[in-house]
Amino acid sequence: MAGRIIANLIVVGSGVLVRAFAQAYRQALQNASKNGVAREAVENMKKVGKTMSESEARQILGVSENASWEEILKKYDSLFENNAKNGSFYLQSKVFRAKECLESAVKKDGE
Amino acid sequence: MTRREAALILGLRESATPDKVKEAHRKVMVANHPDAGGSDYLASKVNEAKDVMLGKTKGSNSAF
Repeated sequence: MAGRIIANLIVVGSGVLVRAFAQAYRQALQNASKNGVAREAVENMKKVGKTMSESEARQILGVSENASWEEILKKYDSLFENNAKNGSFYLQSKVFRAKECLESAVKKDGE
Repeated sequence: MTRREAALILGLRESATPDKVKEAHRKVMVANHPDAGGSDYLASKVNEAKDVMLGKTKGSNSAF
């Protein structure tokens, strides 16, 4: 009699446990994927928010570390125009952002 | 580089056909050719974009 009750309890109990495990595993997977994507997204936003690193801006415009502002402007003008004619809007805006970033960097050094 | 970014770089939709990809790649390379005043960095990005769109290389790490 008691044995039957105990057996019932064990069956029901293990059923509950198994279901809980399955749900937790599923949730953990979801979290992991969300975290992965979310982490990448946050890192990207931080990078973009920091007005593009100066070295990347220099690479985009093809300009050296100690290039003069006129040189930077010249590369910017030709790249901007070429991409407006034949390139994509995305590249054009990257070129623009690069110039913007270097502008603030160079102005800061100049002062 | 994600497929989305590659499509943006080439000015295409993500569902563009390989023909359109090659055509857009040629056009955008003209604008960014290193021998013609473009920058090496942008030219390599354009090439990478073409590879990603054509499915040759799985997207690599650093976003643009």
